[in-house]
Amino acid sequence: MSFLRIHAQPGRTAVWTLSWFLFAAGIVVYFYVAEQRHRENPDDRVMPTISQMVRGFSDAALKPAEEEETQTGGGSSIVARFRASMLWKDTLASGRRFVISVALLFPAVLLGLHMAMFPVIGAFFLRFILFFDKIVALSLLPILFIAFGIDELSKIMLIVIGVAPTIILDTFNLSKSVPREQVVKGFTLGASDFSITYRIVFKQIWPRVLNSIRLNLKAVMLFLFAGEMIASTDGLAYRIALLRRHMGMDIIIPYVLWVALLLFLVDFGMNKLNHKLHPWFEER
Amino acid sequence: MHAAIQIDRVHVDYPVAGQTARSVLNGISLQIESGEFVAVVGETGCGKSTLLRLILGEEKPTRGRVLVNSFERSQPDRHCGYVPQKYSLFPDKTVLDNVTFGPEVSEFGAWSVLRRVYSKRMRGFREEALRYLRHTGLDESDARKYPHQLSGGMQQRVAIAQALMMKPPILLMDEAFSALDPGTRTGMQRLIKTLWRESGTTIVFVTHNTREAVCLGTRIIALAKDGDGNRGSSVALDLAVPHLDFDSDEGDIAGLIRTVESATVRERPLVYN
Repeated sequence: MSFLRIHAQPGRTAVWTLSWFLFAAGIVVYFYVAEQRHRENPDDRVMPTISQMVRGFSDAALKPAEEEETQTGGGSSIVARFRASMLWKDTLASGRRFVISVALLFPAVLLGLHMAMFPVIGAFFLRFILFFDKIVALSLLPILFIAFGIDELSKIMLIVIGVAPTIILDTFNLSKSVPREQVVKGFTLGASDFSITYRIVFKQIWPRVLNSIRLNLKAVMLFLFAGEMIASTDGLAYRIALLRRHMGMDIIIPYVLWVALLLFLVDFGMNKLNHKLHPWFEER
Repeated sequence: MHAAIQIDRVHVDYPVAGQTARSVLNGISLQIESGEFVAVVGETGCGKSTLLRLILGEEKPTRGRVLVNSFERSQPDRHCGYVPQKYSLFPDKTVLDNVTFGPEVSEFGAWSVLRRVYSKRMRGFREEALRYLRHTGLDESDARKYPHQLSGGMQQRVAIAQALMMKPPILLMDEAFSALDPGTRTGMQRLIKTLWRESGTTIVFVTHNTREAVCLGTRIIALAKDGDGNRGSSVALDLAVPHLDFDSDEGDIAGLIRTVESATVRERPLVYN
């Protein structure tokens, strides 16, 4: 049983096989169970077969959305048909909210940085943010809907309120972890407070902050979905909630996988960008 | 010569929760002249680094005062260069950018690239930085590397070049060579002595290695804990030493080492000056 020991060194093929095994097993088990259920009940809607899901997803991705149908009548090329589809419209709506919410996290990064660097700012905000971080963001949803209405602002506020305190505190801790010697060194080299904050500390923590934002992307999506499911007329989560009423599992499952794929691509892109922009960071 | 550093009856106490404050330095008075190479030695925890932080302006004395170039410092500034044992270099910058950082940020501040003369001035800074790097035994290929791609000795060479680039009147070194292997350490000791001779910078060099102190310093200050150690440390030995070199007579070096080491455990101060 040496392959289970701490010192085990699995080869390339073994690592590749092991890392894909659960994906393959999940797919095989799903389709086996789905096949069995459809043999017993051909009208089963809980676990659609692969052909049903392909049909459902291609309808969502290539057929014009209801409101577009009358306007365009559907284009000829695949790209044109995709851009007129329900999936594209929903992705754009959710994507816009997602991008705005992530962009709004950058002031949170700056606040965390300044709290760590300037003791007065830290004293002013830290206790409040620590308390605020403990508030369950979803419990604020009714308050947000009452305060901001049920349009875009309340959904974006929910994401910001849910994720910003974590990002602020993470940035605060990362900034505090920069060795004091670096700050002292900066002063002895003639740097001002702001030069030390931005050109020494911020530049050192930035790759880690990006990683922190990457880790919180799922939380961003979680709050985005909660807002869309409750009060929206478009977006990926709105569509999933709508299809749930009709038990449209043949579209829900591909939608869930589509969201996971998008999130994976955003995460992958950010990771690659982080490596590219900060070659010193990963090599250390 | 004038007093570059004046330490006047300085006490440093650290508060301890639920107990009386812990004394680290107990009424230390020193005057360090411009151009001296002062080696500060003492046992672990006797306040050597605290003394350095006081000169740096990073820490305030509980009582007494510390004057650097006749002024009390409220925070570290470019009058004192600083080479710590580790975390000397900025990991996100190449060697060249580390060395040019000081002049660049002093002249242009946080938003340097926005200024019109930036490129021209930076060319000058880079040329000067390369001269300093070559002087400390590094070449142009090293200048493009990041700190983590260098050995410990090379990193400290860069840290010295980085500090000297600012031409500080005082250079403070806190166990700067402690983490280096013996061979590299000797090389670095020779380098710093040469640079000191050439630049005339006042150097305060904190070390726990007595041999290093004896071979480098023109003056040795030994700190030792008073009595049972609860009263903090004071100057146990303030000794002007002859210019010894690393190949000086082993007997001379050994004699001095014995004197210094016996002083660091004495209860009563012994002043030879």
